[in-house]
Amino acid sequence: MDLATGEFLGFLNLSWQAVAMLVIGGVLMWLGIAKKVEPVLLVPIGFGCMLANIPLGGAAEAGGFLAVLREAGIHTEIFPLLIFIGIGAMIDFEPFLQRPYTIFLGAAAQFGIFGTFFLAYLLGDGWLHVLDFSLKDAASIGIIGSADGPTSIYVATILQSKYTAAIVVAAYSYMAMVPIIQPPIIKAMCSKEERALKMPSVAGTISQRTKILFPIITVLVVGLVAPKATPLIGCLMFGNLLRACGVVERLSLAAQNELANIVTILLGITVGGMMSGTEFLRPETILVFMLGIVAFSLNTVAGVLLGKLMSVLSGRKINPMIGACGISAFPMSSRVVQKLGLEANPYNHLLMHAAGANVAGQIASVVAGGVMLMLVPMFI
Amino acid sequence: MLNALWIVLLGMAIIFAVLGILLLVMILLSKLLKPREKQEKKG
Repeated sequence: MDLATGEFLGFLNLSWQAVAMLVIGGVLMWLGIAKKVEPVLLVPIGFGCMLANIPLGGAAEAGGFLAVLREAGIHTEIFPLLIFIGIGAMIDFEPFLQRPYTIFLGAAAQFGIFGTFFLAYLLGDGWLHVLDFSLKDAASIGIIGSADGPTSIYVATILQSKYTAAIVVAAYSYMAMVPIIQPPIIKAMCSKEERALKMPSVAGTISQRTKILFPIITVLVVGLVAPKATPLIGCLMFGNLLRACGVVERLSLAAQNELANIVTILLGITVGGMMSGTEFLRPETILVFMLGIVAFSLNTVAGVLLGKLMSVLSGRKINPMIGACGISAFPMSSRVVQKLGLEANPYNHLLMHAAGANVAGQIASVVAGGVMLMLVPMFI
Repeated sequence: MLNALWIVLLGMAIIFAVLGILLLVMILLSKLLKPREKQEKKG
């Protein structure tokens, strides 16, 4: 019998790209399991990466189960939208509704998206032509700065970027790195006196009626002004309405737990399945990751700068550090600011103020994604 | 390059405008709701 062993033995078909990706998949799983870095995402992503790069396995090739999931969940944008229903049901907007001015901190902290987009486009087709970054690719890379995995997937998929896999992995892994990226920037921008600044507590609670009306009004305002953001903000606020209305607790709990968990498993393993060596291992991928750090840093700088301005205008009643929470990495950046506040002054509890800016950033990042989808096709 | 600059400027302007409108609507709503909630409490 003439056995063509190369056709059925996987290890005979191992390329250096496949080996490198198997190592990367292993590192992602190690980070999640041993270092507890975003394990909910990195474990499925790492495993999916491993499956996709086993030669002759066919998991990520046409007809393979990862390719089917990619087609059904990512290309149709269903997974990120379903995740947003779960996120909306998990978020309590009360800290933001008690401090509505924080919405501007959320807005300012989206500068990282646009600044990074501009930089990526200059490196690519816009000026230097050293990298293969089109206007759509640059916009998709910029959206890493939304610090929001589902928004990144949604925008990069609609804009059909060549770097969707790298963008999604960067968006999720940098969210876990917020406690490493933000503190040095905040410390460099805020003096110890500023970090020690206590903020007055907010009296009173938000009425049930306001909590119910908030998601409905947000969808109407955002949808009518920036319609491209409607699916994202709609799913986020639908989840929040389930939570706030108080009459569908079963649905709210299902959105927070079963729905969010099932879609996270499917999304994670599918994103991992997108990391095939031939597509992932190119110089542009490294640049995408570097630009991701630029995006998170610019977000932090812009948020803190507006925080400083608001601090001065309010007569030092606002700690400028909470501007850094305008980035929507919830609740990581709130915890960072709380920790820095306590380091500067053991009685300085900023967590709820920071959480207000943080959930405002969540809304702002979705709006930014919609705005990007609206503007980019206009300028092509 | 000019296109990209326009996207940056317009993008940030639209984000501030949308969120500013949302803030105004929420403030207006809280003013409208407060008297009614006080009345409900009295009732």
